[in-house]
Amino acid sequence: MAQLAQGRWIGLSSVFRSGWMLPVVLIAICAIFTVIKPVFLSSENLLSIVHQVAIIGIMAVGMTFVIMTGGIDLSIGPVLAIAGVFAADILALTAGNLALAIGGALGVAASVGLANGLIVAYLGLPPIVVTLAALSIVRGVALLIAGPELHLIRGPAMFLFIGEGPILGVPFSVYLFAATVVLAVIVQYRTAFGLSVLAIGDNERAAFLSGHHVQRVKSLTYVICAIGAGLAGIVQASQVHTASATYGMGIELDVIAAVVLGGTSLSGGAGSILLTVSGVLLIGVMNNGLGLLNIPIEMQLIAKGLIIIAALTVSSREN
Amino acid sequence: MKLLARIPNRELAAVFVSTVATFSFLSATFRTKDNIEDILAGFSHIGLLAIGQAFPILLGGIDLSVGSILALSGMIAFDGFLIFGLPGPLVIPVMLLAATTAGAINGLLIVKCRLQPFIATLATMAAYRGLTYAISGRQIFPQLATQSINDDSLLGFDGNIGPFPYAFFLTVGVAVLAQLVLSFTKFGRDLFTVGGNIEAARLSGINVGQAIVISYAMSGLCAGLAALILVSRMTTSQENLGIGIELSAIAAAIIGGVSLVGGTGNVIGPVIGAFLMGVILIGLSLLGVTTYAQPVLTGAVLLGAVYYDKLAATKRTHRTGTAA
Amino acid sequence: MTTESLLRATELTKIYGSMVALSNASIEVRPGEVRSLVGANGAGKSTLIKILTGAISPTAGEIVIAGRKVAPGNPRRMIELGIAGVYQHSNLAPTMSVLDNLYLGRQPTLGWGILDRHRQRADALALLSKYQIDLDLDARISELPPVKQKEVEIAKALALEARVMLLDEPTAWLSHSEVERLFRTIRTLKTRGVGIIYISHILDELYEICDTVTILRDGLVVEDCPVASITRPQLLKKLIGDKLASEASGQAGAQTRYPRGTGETKLACEGLSKNGAFDDVSFELCSGEIFCVTGLIGAGRSELMRVIFGADSFDGGRLIIGGEEVLIKSPISAMERGMGFVPEDRHRDGLMLKMSVGQNLVMAILTLISRFGMLRPGLMAHAVSRQISTLKIVPSNPQIAVRKLSGGNQQKVLIGKWLQKRPEILILDEPTVGVDVGAKAEVYAILRSLRAAGAAILVVSSDMEEVMTISDRIMVMRGGRVQGIYDANTVSEYDIVGHVGGQ
Repeated sequence: MAQLAQGRWIGLSSVFRSGWMLPVVLIAICAIFTVIKPVFLSSENLLSIVHQVAIIGIMAVGMTFVIMTGGIDLSIGPVLAIAGVFAADILALTAGNLALAIGGALGVAASVGLANGLIVAYLGLPPIVVTLAALSIVRGVALLIAGPELHLIRGPAMFLFIGEGPILGVPFSVYLFAATVVLAVIVQYRTAFGLSVLAIGDNERAAFLSGHHVQRVKSLTYVICAIGAGLAGIVQASQVHTASATYGMGIELDVIAAVVLGGTSLSGGAGSILLTVSGVLLIGVMNNGLGLLNIPIEMQLIAKGLIIIAALTVSSREN
Repeated sequence: MKLLARIPNRELAAVFVSTVATFSFLSATFRTKDNIEDILAGFSHIGLLAIGQAFPILLGGIDLSVGSILALSGMIAFDGFLIFGLPGPLVIPVMLLAATTAGAINGLLIVKCRLQPFIATLATMAAYRGLTYAISGRQIFPQLATQSINDDSLLGFDGNIGPFPYAFFLTVGVAVLAQLVLSFTKFGRDLFTVGGNIEAARLSGINVGQAIVISYAMSGLCAGLAALILVSRMTTSQENLGIGIELSAIAAAIIGGVSLVGGTGNVIGPVIGAFLMGVILIGLSLLGVTTYAQPVLTGAVLLGAVYYDKLAATKRTHRTGTAA
Repeated sequence: MTTESLLRATELTKIYGSMVALSNASIEVRPGEVRSLVGANGAGKSTLIKILTGAISPTAGEIVIAGRKVAPGNPRRMIELGIAGVYQHSNLAPTMSVLDNLYLGRQPTLGWGILDRHRQRADALALLSKYQIDLDLDARISELPPVKQKEVEIAKALALEARVMLLDEPTAWLSHSEVERLFRTIRTLKTRGVGIIYISHILDELYEICDTVTILRDGLVVEDCPVASITRPQLLKKLIGDKLASEASGQAGAQTRYPRGTGETKLACEGLSKNGAFDDVSFELCSGEIFCVTGLIGAGRSELMRVIFGADSFDGGRLIIGGEEVLIKSPISAMERGMGFVPEDRHRDGLMLKMSVGQNLVMAILTLISRFGMLRPGLMAHAVSRQISTLKIVPSNPQIAVRKLSGGNQQKVLIGKWLQKRPEILILDEPTVGVDVGAKAEVYAILRSLRAAGAAILVVSSDMEEVMTISDRIMVMRGGRVQGIYDANTVSEYDIVGHVGGQ
């Protein structure tokens, strides 16, 4: 962590202080699950956890940028779906042109993000409501274009590799997740843009008075978040060999939960990609462990809601 | 009455009338008694949800969990009638009580745990939905999934007077009651005060926490009433009832003039807004627009309403200079 | 009328962490008495008012109202006991009518919570006619100009049947005739046995309407006497401190001043106006000088600075930089023209409190320390350490979160952020508010060395001692207009205070 982040400039102490609880909780929960179901700690199971969270993880990394500026993006589920659908359809239409498919999918995602970003940053409309409307619009557009049915993806092999192809026994999606994290960390700590994002989240007025391009930066965070959702859509389509306009329903809850658990404040400012990763792992561990224990899905929903509430209450007490 | 002279609703009413006129002109089917009944029956529950949503938004908050509270209420009805075989006069109050409590919990989370409204209600949206699944009689007794609820008091909500369903009267009745509270009681004044300037409200001795909890409880209660109407019409309930319905409720409220910044609005506007959305959506589908376009339209309408609301809010404060 | 006091607060103390805002302050108000409360910015007036109205609790001390000891920190209780405050910030609900605001939170009801509209309106009309206040009961607050809003605030306090009313800079936004009307109302209140605490800098007003004066300085009460028994010079001396006054004047006297600096005009305003803030402002700022703009709250100084820096728009007049007329649309373009801006409220507008000292120091120069968007750690470290050592920022660890620093060091970080850019024009709004004496001197030294390097420095300050210590020229603003521009060599502090107060 220290080398990656060129420790000097993030105030490592503050990161650790706000995030120390999380790794400890993570380890504690892993220990509990292992005791109850020893199979939890098997390499296959651990690998499947990371494999499953790759999608949520990629999206959570993108979402972190938006939340760091004090915004939120509820439309990531439909963006995931429409990106997957675009990829599937372009592959079918162009007989397997990978570059075009990925480009098209990410392109449509980025457009949605840009629209969200421009409306929130330049028109000044509240992000909750704007992205709530976007959620509905994008879902509707996806259904209009692709209908509710599943679109099969038969190839090319390169595309299918993205989601599951193993390299050294580890699925490619995990490497993709890791690469996204590395890229995001570099952007957050080593670029002027990243510093600006933090500054705007901490004190938007001061950032404005210091000459930052506040509106531009804010819009870009929504583009980043949407591209993350688009990438996740490609990964998912690759994993299950299908795409549908109905995919991604409710996934925004998992993503927001992961970011919130990680300790990134919803009012912006203090935030960290690495902490989000811990949050993602925690969500993954919980999903996996509860599944191993055969706890029904509805309980997991309740649990997620309660976890978000608990995590936020604790952090608001600390302030 | 003074109510009808409120300016934002006059504009809205004009828009409503002209929209109805346009569709009536463009589509013969639109003009029929059956269609009017469809619109009223299909959107009365949205009207109720919009009334409920007006309260949190008036305070500068929002309630994303109304769909889940609606489903929870509906499932309680299902279980109560079909599994436990209890009579309406027992089940219906329990439904409504549960819904109100769920709403009150939202308020408490915001006041005591100091959570932002959107994240608190996003979390409870998940939790209440999970709870709905957890208590779902349909899972435990799959054979009941096809059985209809036969209770007289419940079905009593599903009747008509001419083209006007009872549900419509319920909605209008609740709207009138709520508006009376907002306009003529101290509690109503307090809500506007909290929404307009929370610090001034605190300093004036208003119990802000109580106002918040009661407002979210009202939102919950309206979701319970909406569930009542829906279950009565469908004679059953499902776990996925009301998914995504919060969008329509919020859109209707904002169209109805309840400003997102808080402190402005009434509950008559949201009802008109709900039926306006019904007119637009059903009118367009009668003209051949596919139903998949509906979420797109609803979202677009919400965006438009929010933008208009922002312009109106800026105009309202235009003439104040910089107050120190 | 009894001579027992309406309100007696004794030995009030308030400590925030390591900062002492108020120390053993005592104040007393009798029926029909108008007591003025004066003190420079940061002297503790706001803290005292907040304690008296119950908004905050004192660390020590007691409050006695009408002979009974009262538990502090309960605004509702204070209101019930008849203590009402009319502040500078708005205590009104903007979306509601005047009628509703007059009885905010306490509208009369007919049982079951139903409003008694008739009685409310009748009561309001009676109140307005009793005190001769002219308001449209059905107007929405947000549609009223600030003047009228102030009247509503006062009427609201009157509706509370306040026995003691605290008026915090009540004439800040009022015209001359409106001030007269306010004074008539105050005199009516006096005859009804109401006690008033009147907070203001304007000496004319003090001597016209007040009976007694309490002077606060650095959190302590340094004088408490009838207005008639103290002359203006004596009052001023108490206000700014005997010792410091002579030190300051000694220092001031020993200073070499450079009015108009090198003579080269860096920035000029011609007839600059902004509706509701300031009107017809014209002045020239030269390189190599420190130009102080002083005046009271409501004089429009901060608004003027924000307009010059591009943070707000203006409605009339011209801004000329380097000889050519410019239209500055945002801080970014202001910075491109070599400007820097240290805002008045460093917590709200200046610093990123959760971020580190190092990060804050580079906030304005991100493009200078990065290439292709990537930050160069070497350049960053160099820039940061140079500022920390030059400005003597303590502690010197660049990783520490800025919110942990003392007020003085925070201010140095804020100034340091702009020094990185080597600005040709630096604007500072109240640069030493909440800063200890030692850091103040350091800040002044920094400004002087900037001046020596040829920068044009614009300082907004309400601190008379500061104005006299550092300025080469002084511009006094009053009610949004320029009252006058003076050469610091030829004008005394007494003169300036007089100009500010309206002579």
